Amino acid sequence: MSKQTVLIVEDDPWLAEQHARVLTKAGYKTSISPHAEAAIDAVDDVHPDVIVLDMLLTGSTAFALMHELQSYGDTSVIPIILCTNLAADMNLDDVKPYGVQRMLDKTSMLPDDVVTAVRSVL
Amino acid sequence: MGSTRGKHEQLVGGILGDGLPSLIAAAHELKSPLALVRQLSLMLEAGDITDVERQRMLRQISLTSERALRLTSDLTRSARLDDALFELEPINPQELCKDIVHELRPLFEAHGRNVRLVPHKHPLLLVANRDLLRRIIMNFGDNALHYADSKGIVEIQIHTLQSGKVIRLGVRDYGPALSSDMWRSLKTKLALAPQSVHARPESSGLGLYIASQFADAMNGEIGVTRHRDGATFYVDLSSSQQLSLL
Repeated sequence: MSKQTVLIVEDDPWLAEQHARVLTKAGYKTSISPHAEAAIDAVDDVHPDVIVLDMLLTGSTAFALMHELQSYGDTSVIPIILCTNLAADMNLDDVKPYGVQRMLDKTSMLPDDVVTAVRSVL
Repeated sequence: MGSTRGKHEQLVGGILGDGLPSLIAAAHELKSPLALVRQLSLMLEAGDITDVERQRMLRQISLTSERALRLTSDLTRSARLDDALFELEPINPQELCKDIVHELRPLFEAHGRNVRLVPHKHPLLLVANRDLLRRIIMNFGDNALHYADSKGIVEIQIHTLQSGKVIRLGVRDYGPALSSDMWRSLKTKLALAPQSVHARPESSGLGLYIASQFADAMNGEIGVTRHRDGATFYVDLSSSQQLSLL
């Protein structure tokens, strides 16, 4: 069975690398995009099974990306896990219409939480 | 290519762009490096990593901590600007920038990027406070690192303007270009709220806001020029007349 792919959209390269490290150890294939424009290309290229998305991105915001993904039938079904410093100020129900199924608080999450979140939405 | 300039108001009790109180902006800027350091530390604690990974993560922790400390130090300096007397002196910008490149290089190399000085042909002197000017250029360097593309080179450039009366020190990144929409947004924000200059419209812009305060304290000005393939953040300062007297 081929590995499931997680697209990590994160503009801090070392945090992206950290997420990729734990996800790879857990058996997932990962791809990293530093900004929303690159993520849109990556969605076409790697066909991710799930997207781990930083809320504040260089360039276009995460909302612009989520809106774009929701515009197409095939991409609208990709589960999104928001990983953000702003989790305390956000409500999961407010972002569910954008395809967000889980929210991780960067300031309090444990390294393996990203794996748990990915497993829970696949 | 376009260019825009910004001024500032007092940081303490002031308001940054997007209606963010300055304290919140500072807290937000510090959250990211602290969250990364925490993640890496927890990973190291867990132990299931190779020696190579461990060394890399330790290096990332120290460099990220240094960046966060630079910001806290800049914030403290910024909050005390009014209380302090700043000695303005003739400074050789080329020598200063050479030192800054030397200091920034490990951070850039750890990100797989390069920073270099584009030397100016003729000797120059400008009037500035060495510490504040250093902080401004370091700040621009941090900003450029964040936005430079993965194989990007960041250049520190020195130019003369107004027949040599003004010296411009610029930090040029080759990151994603500001789109026309983003550029318009940046210009609008500067026009409506000239107290803050944003790196990119989505950032809190705190670092550049502080840089504008430091520049103002030296009778200088910061600004940004948009290029097709990135941006240059610059500070303009008066040149020293000492060389012409020799």
